[in-house]
Amino acid sequence: MKRKYRVPDMYCVSCPMHLEALEDELPGVRYIKASYQKLSMEVDFDETRLSEEQIIAAAREIGYHLELLPA
Amino acid sequence: MNAYWIAFITGLTTGGLGCMVVQGGLITGSLAQQIERDLAGDGLSHPAGKSSRLVLPLVMFLTAKLVAYTLLGILLGWLGSVLSLTPTTRGILQIAIAVFMLGNALRMFNVHPIFRYFSFEPPRAVTRLIRRKSKNPGNDAFLAPVLLGALTIFIPCGITQAMMAVAIATGSPQAGALTMFFFILGTTPVFFTLVYLAMKLSSLLEKYFMRIVALALLVLGLISLNSGLNLVGSPVTVENTAQATGRLWNTVFMGSQQDALPIHESLKSDIRLEARDDGYFPSTLYAPAGDPVKLHLITNNTSSCDRDFTIPSLNVEVLLDKTGESVVDLPVQQAGYKLHFSCSMGMYTGDIVYR
Repeated sequence: MKRKYRVPDMYCVSCPMHLEALEDELPGVRYIKASYQKLSMEVDFDETRLSEEQIIAAAREIGYHLELLPA
Repeated sequence: MNAYWIAFITGLTTGGLGCMVVQGGLITGSLAQQIERDLAGDGLSHPAGKSSRLVLPLVMFLTAKLVAYTLLGILLGWLGSVLSLTPTTRGILQIAIAVFMLGNALRMFNVHPIFRYFSFEPPRAVTRLIRRKSKNPGNDAFLAPVLLGALTIFIPCGITQAMMAVAIATGSPQAGALTMFFFILGTTPVFFTLVYLAMKLSSLLEKYFMRIVALALLVLGLISLNSGLNLVGSPVTVENTAQATGRLWNTVFMGSQQDALPIHESLKSDIRLEARDDGYFPSTLYAPAGDPVKLHLITNNTSSCDRDFTIPSLNVEVLLDKTGESVVDLPVQQAGYKLHFSCSMGMYTGDIVYR
């Protein structure tokens, strides 16, 4: 399942790296692509192992609010 | 050997800050895990060990960077011996670099979202590789920072790029290598301190911290822009504006005409310019219009970089001896023409005014 989010809180070049690091921490994530220039984050994950709420919560924990973008 | 001191001091004063913008984020990102553990205080007993978890990778990173850039310097110097970088081209490069620096400063000040594009986004594959290596180091505990340090040659910050242009201009692999070596060496203390502080600060303080860096970058960007404009011979530079303002002041308020020569003094077709340690003297020369002119460039134990004399509009560049005289033949010009000259970095400037 793919989801695209707007991430307005990214303020520096290393911010995407923190979000992409969730790739390794959350189970069932195929990839996370975050861009500081576009203030966006794209996730591809296995919805049987991981829920969208968990992704949003994990991002909030490291300080980023995710706003869902229409597919 | 003075050029290397300049490279070192440039690195010490400005390079560290500029590099922080592009590379600081990269290294703190890769060390994120160690940083988080350090801030949380994971209860490890050895007090020295906590700091060394951050210090050691950082030192390795900076060492790898130094080595990589020195090797790059060899390549650049060799490239310079094959190509030729004119003052005008260098000026354009410097302006482009300045624009990048200013854009970055405005980005850090959050002036407008569009400035976000003035940043290098490191390739995802690279950051992913480094992130995973740093989490499961095994025998590769040192690999990530070393690899990262070496890879920084692909993401040079504005001032580093300017230094790379200087390295090319040396035209010798050895000089190029030494230039880059001393410059990166100069950046190391500042870079180390800034990154170490940024890692130790909480993210809130980090934002304020970044604003100070952004301000410094703004100032540096403007200086760089000014140098670049000097090199391309633009009339719109701080020095020219200051001179023009000074003359205006004198004319309007003092009633004097500074530009007027004493009537009995005729203009010679042999003119003298001294390159002293603190700049060119006199900064304004007068030459006869309609005649070919010989410009005598004099040095007397000068060690300053103004020995690298350029006239951008004529594509003239002469590297003067420490002590001696060089002659440049200037083409015929019309009365009122101002020939702008400057050192190769656009810092020391002056004009030859034709009458």
